[in-house]
Amino acid sequence: MIFHVAWRLLRRAVMNLWRTPLPSLVAVLTMALALFLGAGFLSALSGARALLRAWGAEANLTLYLAQSATEAQGAALAERVRLEHAELTVALVGREEALTRLRTDMRDLASALDGISVSALPLTVELSPRGQLTSADVRKLAAQLARMPDVVDVEYGREWRDKLEELGRGLRTAGSAATALILGAAILVVANTIRLAVYARRDEIEIMKLVGATDSYVRMPFLLEGILQGLAGALIALCGLVAVHRVLLPRAQAAFAFTSGATLGPIVPAHLVALLAFGGAVGLLGSWLAVARFLRT
Amino acid sequence: MIELRNVHKAYGDEPATLDDLSLQIDKGEFVWLTGPSGAGKTTLLKMLFCAEQPTRGEIHVGGHNVTRLAPSGVPLLRRSIGVVFQDFKLLPHRTVLENVGFALEVLGASDREIEERAMRRLDQVGLRAKALALPRTLSGGEQQRVAIARALVNDPAVLLADEPTGNLDPSLTDSIIELLFDANARGTTVVVATHDHALLQRHARRTVTLAAGKLVSDV
Repeated sequence: MIFHVAWRLLRRAVMNLWRTPLPSLVAVLTMALALFLGAGFLSALSGARALLRAWGAEANLTLYLAQSATEAQGAALAERVRLEHAELTVALVGREEALTRLRTDMRDLASALDGISVSALPLTVELSPRGQLTSADVRKLAAQLARMPDVVDVEYGREWRDKLEELGRGLRTAGSAATALILGAAILVVANTIRLAVYARRDEIEIMKLVGATDSYVRMPFLLEGILQGLAGALIALCGLVAVHRVLLPRAQAAFAFTSGATLGPIVPAHLVALLAFGGAVGLLGSWLAVARFLRT
Repeated sequence: MIELRNVHKAYGDEPATLDDLSLQIDKGEFVWLTGPSGAGKTTLLKMLFCAEQPTRGEIHVGGHNVTRLAPSGVPLLRRSIGVVFQDFKLLPHRTVLENVGFALEVLGASDREIEERAMRRLDQVGLRAKALALPRTLSGGEQQRVAIARALVNDPAVLLADEPTGNLDPSLTDSIIELLFDANARGTTVVVATHDHALLQRHARRTVTLAAGKLVSDV
């Protein structure tokens, strides 16, 4: 009995959608737009965060040794770091090389360095991670290295890293707020659209209740319609996202230099399932709210 | 079968629609409910199928105290009551067969059972040939026959009809009433609200008369 009742309700839901093409289309397109904007925003956010992580991973640390440190002490320190931190490539920069680099960097003004003694420059040890390190890893590493003998300072771009982290946090907060906003708006819009459909069928509901239908029985076709509309909306949104990924973004990157760094998170099968499930859930919730309100009144 | 005890119904500060009404209708009876417009006939019928609740008093239908019925019990009560309205209340996008079968759908009957029972009722009201027609292609009398078939399709213990001939040509009135008498002859308790005195004179049965919400006569 449950099977044929469920089958009948599903059949009726599909027939109802078919009989009211315009309201159904409006609901589907509304949901498609809301899901496209929401998922697109999340995808852009995911891309931006990946970009920030990649920038953060480009971590180079420089150890500045005390002025009194000799080349031999510098070499010994570099060797010790190499042994203790296999995850880093280590290079000692001697005073001569430091001066040469300085001259190269200063180009036309290099002559200003003519009177400077080599001994005025400190020895440095340059470190590069072999893999990706998080900002927290880099901070921890810098703190460890700063405690080593002859090390007077550790430079690792603290300021820009802090700003990068702040930006990342801001994006996360803005992302959560925007997602909640888009989600709420989508549910409200869907609920209102479905409420119109419910209102258009108030006679049917009245008759259903008159012949002894329970509220659950009255509600079920509308919920199924909401789910079907949500799934259709999610499918359209997904097609839009794929089009942006595959067609629009590559063309924009080719046409405009400033968009070359722009990226979206990849679309994987899990996203497809999540978007469809989310679309169905939004449709279900929207229709539940619409029908519940109608049944109450 | 139906019992009203000191039923009072008022909407806000308006004069009472029903005022201290007590009435008993036995199983298998056919009762005319009559009175001028605003007498309280429709309100009384609505209370019997729980579309309205009295302000005071008790109503019993088929052993259920409907004034104390939980919301979840209302659908179950309504499955034992058939209701016919003046404006038919048919679903315009469904065929005659689907409209009649609608009352069985909510009971969870199978498609085959729905078709068999609905066709049987359509046979009784003389509309088997129009089973696949849409309501808008039928005359008013035929639409009311469909509504009666729907009200009777699940063999209710009680049939309530609110001005069932009010929208019909007088020549069709008797054929509709005959269908209600047929249902009564099969054991269904029937209560028909009407203000058509000619109808009451042609078909003498127990007649309950209301005026301004009060019971005026019961003969």
